[in-house]
Parts: sequence; C-alpha cells; structure tokens
Amino acid sequence: MTRLVLEGLRKMYGPTVAVDRVDLAVEQGELVALLGPSGCGKTTTLRMVAGFIAPTEGRIVIGGTDVTKAPPYARDTGMVFQGYALFPHMTVAENVGFGLEMRRVPKAERGPRIAEALRLVRLDGYAERRIAQLSGGQQQRVALARALVVNPGVFLLDEPLSNLDARLRAEVRVEIRALQQRLGLTTLFVTHDQEEALTMADRMVVMNHGRVCQIGPPEELYERPADLFVAGFLGRCNIFHGTVETPGILRAGAIALPCDGGVPGQAAAMVVRPERVLIDVQAGLLPGRIGMVTYLGGLTDWHVETDAGTVLVTRPTPTPGDRLRGLAPGDVVHLDWAGRAGRLLSPEPNGELA
Amino acid sequence: MAGLLLPAVLLVFAMMVAPMALLFRYSLNLYSPTELMIAAVTPANYLAAVSDPYYWAVLRTTLTVAFEATVIALILGFPAAYVLARMQGKWKGPLTLLTVFPLMVGNVVRAAGWMTLLGNSGVLNASLKAMGFSGVEMMYTQGAVIVGIVTVVLPYMILTLASVIESIPVNAEEAAQNLGARPFTVFCRVVLPLSLPGVAAGSALVFILCMNAYATPVLLGGARFKMMAPAVYDQFVRTTNWPFGAALAFILLFVTLGLTMAGSMLLQRRYKR
Repeated sequence: MTRLVLEGLRKMYGPTVAVDRVDLAVEQGELVALLGPSGCGKTTTLRMVAGFIAPTEGRIVIGGTDVTKAPPYARDTGMVFQGYALFPHMTVAENVGFGLEMRRVPKAERGPRIAEALRLVRLDGYAERRIAQLSGGQQQRVALARALVVNPGVFLLDEPLSNLDARLRAEVRVEIRALQQRLGLTTLFVTHDQEEALTMADRMVVMNHGRVCQIGPPEELYERPADLFVAGFLGRCNIFHGTVETPGILRAGAIALPCDGGVPGQAAAMVVRPERVLIDVQAGLLPGRIGMVTYLGGLTDWHVETDAGTVLVTRPTPTPGDRLRGLAPGDVVHLDWAGRAGRLLSPEPNGELA
Repeated sequence: MAGLLLPAVLLVFAMMVAPMALLFRYSLNLYSPTELMIAAVTPANYLAAVSDPYYWAVLRTTLTVAFEATVIALILGFPAAYVLARMQGKWKGPLTLLTVFPLMVGNVVRAAGWMTLLGNSGVLNASLKAMGFSGVEMMYTQGAVIVGIVTVVLPYMILTLASVIESIPVNAEEAAQNLGARPFTVFCRVVLPLSLPGVAAGSALVFILCMNAYATPVLLGGARFKMMAPAVYDQFVRTTNWPFGAALAFILLFVTLGLTMAGSMLLQRRYKR
C-alpha cells in the first residue's frame, strides 16, 4: 500500500511564497490532479515530491516513510516529464531498462520486464529503435514505460500531454488513465488543462498563488466551487453580484434572480453555469436580446444581453423545427434557471462564503 | 546570399590560401648559403627533416606537450563548463566574461608574468629561499610549458564544452536521478555521452592550438626546449633556410591535421555506435 502524504508543504524563494502550506493525501491507487494557472505552485509541489526542490517547511511521506530530506534517486517515485526527457543516445529498450539497471535487476530479468512494459504501452517491436526515430506520441509512451517498469510507489506526471496535438492528447489521456487504474498506481498529475483534470482525476486540487483553493472530486469542484476563482477557472460561468433578499432570491439592482438558499441581507456573488440556463422565445424570468450566436456543432452558445448584464447560455444545438433554431442577433428571448443552479459565493475572489 | 560570403572568401584566399601555396612551393626548393633559395622541385627538405633525429625529438616533445595539455584542459575544463552551462540568472554573463578574460591578456605578457613568478630568482623561489628552503627549478621545464599552455587554451575548451552541455536538457539528468541514478552515474551515463560532440570539438581545437604554440614554449621553455613552431621560426629567421623551414611547417600541419581528424573520427564512432 503506497500512500503519498504532503503535510504543510511550503516553499519560499526569498520573500516570495511559491507553495503555501499544502496538505494533501493521495490514497493508494488514486489519481489526484494538481490544476491551476501557470505560476500557481503546482509544478513546484510535484518537483518537491520528486525531490528536485527542497521544501522550506513541511513533510513528504511516501508509503509511511518520511522522504522530505531524501535525494531524488532514493525516492520511490516514477516520473513522466514534460517533454519526456528521454535519453537520446540510448535505444528505446535502454531507456526503459535504465531504471532496472540502477536498481541492479539482473540482466536476465531485465529483458522480459522491458518487453512487458513496452507491451503495456503498445510499443512491442520498437525496442531497438532510437529515440529520434519515434513520433511525439511514441516518445511519450516510452516515457510512460520507463517510469512504470520499476513499479514506482508513486507515479508523477508533469504536464505529460502538453507536447501532443489535440487529437492524440484525448487518446493518450484515456490510455494513461486506464493504465493507472489497471496497475493501481498512486498518482499525482500536474496540468493546466482543466479538461484533462476533469476527465482523468479521482480528485482535483485547484491551486492559485501557491495556495490550495479547493480539493475534491471533479463533479464537486465543478458543481459546488468553493470560491469565484475555482468557479471561473473550471469551466465557464455567469456571475451576478447582489444581495440575498429572501432565501432563494438574489436581488441584483432592480432584478430578482433565483438562487440556492442564502441568508437575507447577505452580499453574494451568484454563479450560474451556462448549460443550466434555460432559454425560451416566449415566457421566462429574465428578458434579453441575443447579441452573438456561436455554433459549436453539437452545442450552441448564445450571448444574451439582459438588464443583469450579458448572460452566456449553452444548450444542445436546436434540431430543425425547434422554435430556437432560427434565433439571430437582435431577437428577444427569455432566460430562466432553477434556484439550485444559482450557487452563492463570497463576492471576494478567494474567500469562503461567510 | 552567396555574395555575403565574398569578402570573407577573398580575405581567406589572399591571406591563407595564397601564402600557403607559396610556402608549399618553397618547401620543394633548394637552399644555398649564398643565394638562399634555388628553384627546384625536390623532396630533399622533407627527407632531411624526417631523417634527422633532432626533429623527431622536437616533434615528440610537441606531441607530448600538446596531448598532455589537451587532456589536462579537458579534465579541468569539464567541471567548469558544466557549472557555467547549468548556471542561470545574473551571474552567468559575468562568469562567461571571466572565462574569456585570460584571452584578453596576450600570451607574451602572461608568459612574462610566469617568468617573474616561477624564475630561479622569481617571487616563489625568493620566498622559498627567504624561508630557508633551497630553490626549485620551475622555469625552463616541460612542466612549465604545459601549465603555461593550459592556461592559454582552457577558455577555448570551457566555452566549447559549455555550449554543448547547455544543449543537454536538464530534465534528462533529472529523469536519470528519478530512475535511481546517483550524481556520478548521471554524469557517466547521461551527461558525458551527450557531451561527446563537445569533447571532440573542444579537444580538436585545443590540440591544434597546442601543436602550434609559439610564445609559451619559447618564453617558458627556454633555449634548449624546442617545439615545432619555434623550430620553424628558427629556420626562417635565424638560419634563413626558407625551404627547410617551409618543409617543417608542412610536416607540422599534416601531423596536426591527421591526428585531429583521426581523433574526431574515433570519437564520432563512439557516440554513433
């Protein structure tokens, strides 16, 4: 059982705080994604776990052993680097076998294990190729095999998909996740791509300015963001600032909007996801005019100008015959949403709701 | 585009190719103490040089000094080049400049400095004697020449190596560490193999410079210590035997060229595998 625990992990560069008191436990077989904008401290956190950066404060525990002061080569981690970091002067097999060699695995045992790892990433038959002869996707799979062949206690991935084109990225995403689940790997994954995190992670950690904003399963973070930063960083949202009039009603200027509970008199920012907004030509709560229509294939975005500001609405593209089908800029529509779709948050960007 | 090459090509032709051709022609002439040079086409000068044990000794000295100085420069230069290549931030620029700084002091000036430091009545020996020790002969030895040459060529070695080491991704080293390699293993298995092109280029450059060293062997080696470049100079200026001097110059050129090419081919085969 390998569990990764970070306790009060902190990294200072002079007076600058890069990572501020991160507490996190990654359970056996769990994939946790560190997500945030560049400079949020996610990569620094990962590199502290790998041992390339010494924390200023806090502890790193892998499988019950405190490794905070251990050098990188003595930690039981297998890392896939951004840009893969393969050894260009070695063959595929030599790359994959490097970790086994370092662990003094007998040569006779290395061969089968290299072959097994290459089979796992569907690269059988490529053992004797040179790295320069491989495509980006193949190099990425060699990097995976090289990290996995040693059965690491903790699997670390640093933006492993960022060098791949969009189509390949979606494919590899599924592959990595399937591998990770099959092998039951305790995994920490760094990405700036929210879609990657949402689709792959058991739990996500959203970070900003070195701090953890929220930890939880993807659905929880998307549907119940803890603050405006998380709401805005994960997916798209409409934000209305106002005051709670009665529980379930937010007053924004002259307009009363449905919201999820609240205490009368409380100042709040309400977040409504664009796909939760209903749009109709005849009746509804909030009238407005269509400003812009963006056709996305299966979905359509409507930007609707209302008295409460521009509201983004995303719905499945209307089928022929639907009254919404021919809507064009300038047309009058009515918007509505269920009270529980209007999540109340603190108006402060990084604050908890009082 | 080709026009941009013209000035450099013209200069090289006028200042390199033409004199070399002329010199080669001279090497086939005959020497006369009265008329200095008699037109001929004869290998006599080359034969005289290779059949004279004195010039074999000079060539051997030259090769020994050049080889040892290159190896020492490589051993001293690699760690420095590594640190320089991996350095980031505001100190990188000044340190690179500091590496080049010795080149701003001419060879002669530097050698003169060494003479005052290492000479029999120089600073070091004077201090030794003042403390009651007997003096040590440091000047006019092969060791002094090698040390002197190393200080001249070290910047070239460091800069050549650093530019190649800089192109080795840092995360390749990190990946090796992550896979369990200790720093020394990372060096042997990742850094060194990937810097072999730099080792080849730096060593070739430095070896050529050493083979052709003039000022340092003359000033630090003294009258009895002979390397090829001073020997060539002697022929041209002291004995005014231009044909023989030209032949010696071409022997030096071909030995240097041959060894440099053989060396880099050997290294290339190692890292192409």
